[in-house]
Amino acid sequence: MRYKVIIGFMVAFLLTIYSGAYSAEIRKSEIVHFWVAVPAGNITHEKIIRDAGPPIRVTPLIIDLDGRGFLKKLLQPNIEAISTHWIYNVGKRPINIRLELIESDIPIVWEVKANWPYNSSTRTFTAPIPPGGRIDLLSIDWYFIIPEYYMDEKIIYDGGLLIYDANSNELLTFIPIMIIRSYHSYIGGECC
Amino acid sequence: MRLINAFKKLSINKWRYIFWIIGLIMFVAPFALLTRLIYFTIGNIYPPDLHGICFRMPFEWIFSGRIFYLFQYPIMFGTVILALIIAFVLGPIFCGWLCPVGAVSEALSRIIPFPYRLRIKDTSITRSLRYGFLAGWIVISLLIGLGYIGISSICCRYCASSVLQSLVDAISSSTVLYWHSGSIIVLIFWLIIGGVFTVGGRAWCIMFCPLGAMSGLFHSLGAKLGFYRTIRRNNVKCNNCDICMKVCPMWAIDSNKSIDRTLCINCKECVKRCPNNAFTMVWREIN
Repeated sequence: MRYKVIIGFMVAFLLTIYSGAYSAEIRKSEIVHFWVAVPAGNITHEKIIRDAGPPIRVTPLIIDLDGRGFLKKLLQPNIEAISTHWIYNVGKRPINIRLELIESDIPIVWEVKANWPYNSSTRTFTAPIPPGGRIDLLSIDWYFIIPEYYMDEKIIYDGGLLIYDANSNELLTFIPIMIIRSYHSYIGGECC
Repeated sequence: MRLINAFKKLSINKWRYIFWIIGLIMFVAPFALLTRLIYFTIGNIYPPDLHGICFRMPFEWIFSGRIFYLFQYPIMFGTVILALIIAFVLGPIFCGWLCPVGAVSEALSRIIPFPYRLRIKDTSITRSLRYGFLAGWIVISLLIGLGYIGISSICCRYCASSVLQSLVDAISSSTVLYWHSGSIIVLIFWLIIGGVFTVGGRAWCIMFCPLGAMSGLFHSLGAKLGFYRTIRRNNVKCNNCDICMKVCPMWAIDSNKSIDRTLCINCKECVKRCPNNAFTMVWREIN
């Protein structure tokens, strides 16, 4: 009996650890979460910004649809998402920010929730973020509804997230975002 | 006739099922009345939903050493602490009576008739699975706290609360129903395998819920200290009909009819359904 208990414990333990490892693998390409710092300029490569507030790691996003989990690819391959819970003001003055995602033919659905006043029609956070501060309890999800015919493309989306000063319209941060298919060897239209 | 019988069965422990509905209304958007009330009181304008009070993340923050998060999200921390205190004094009644995740999967198991359901009869094996998971959870949290990049949180990636809220959102509004691999895995284990193919429909609660596992430990500790409200069996009245084993959603009663405190959620199914009234709720009594 005792060995059954030990085996049960070890099975559950190892399964949980494996779940954590699998989670680390699929988070690179399924609902990728990223940090945003403003002002941070054009984010061309991964870097850590150390200004006002905590250090913020910012990076361009490359989402590889072929790196997703088996179940995702099987059951809902044509909707992918990105998400952030962290927008920090690393500058020296309070700023109101306005968000913009570079448009393409792919429909993108925004879902914004925060403990911060937000105008959904202008996509502007109407209260200023203090220097070193962040938007409290933030959750922004962007859903890319990828049409079937785009799924055969090697580069499905090539755009990015633009963050402006809502008062002066000055571009504060640009985070490039690409959605790709790395295993795809052809670009649509071929048949044989 | 079957419908009448089903209603008769439900009426036996009706207060529990009424509390399931109260739990859904308290925590799940579009109602989320408790979260709404708390947010209103403190002036929080975040739209309340089941995520507003996460029952899992505070454990990860504690075990990963990121205590500062607890101060950033005091409502979550306060709710989890409250659930544990209640488990210590009254048993895990949050799990048995209010938790929407457990209520939905258990309700599903009662609604869908399926003759072949899985169950582990040996409570020590069930307990080993539950605490093997909790040990894995703690190790993952520690590794995250140490900055190990080969492992990631299983908190949000495999979240039954998130799946439940997404399903309700998809029904009640026009939001996009996005599935990632983790949420699909949760759906399979929580509702399909856990809800339909296991006895009692609470396999997810037994094996994958850190709050449930911690509440079980607190319940057990409360029982040892004699400071608790829990279920006791009267050996004289018991005729070994095994009904208690069949109706216990947590597989907490073994073939000797002893109750495992780390699994029991004080749901009173055994108390209400035992034909010989062999089970009773007791205060401050050590077996």
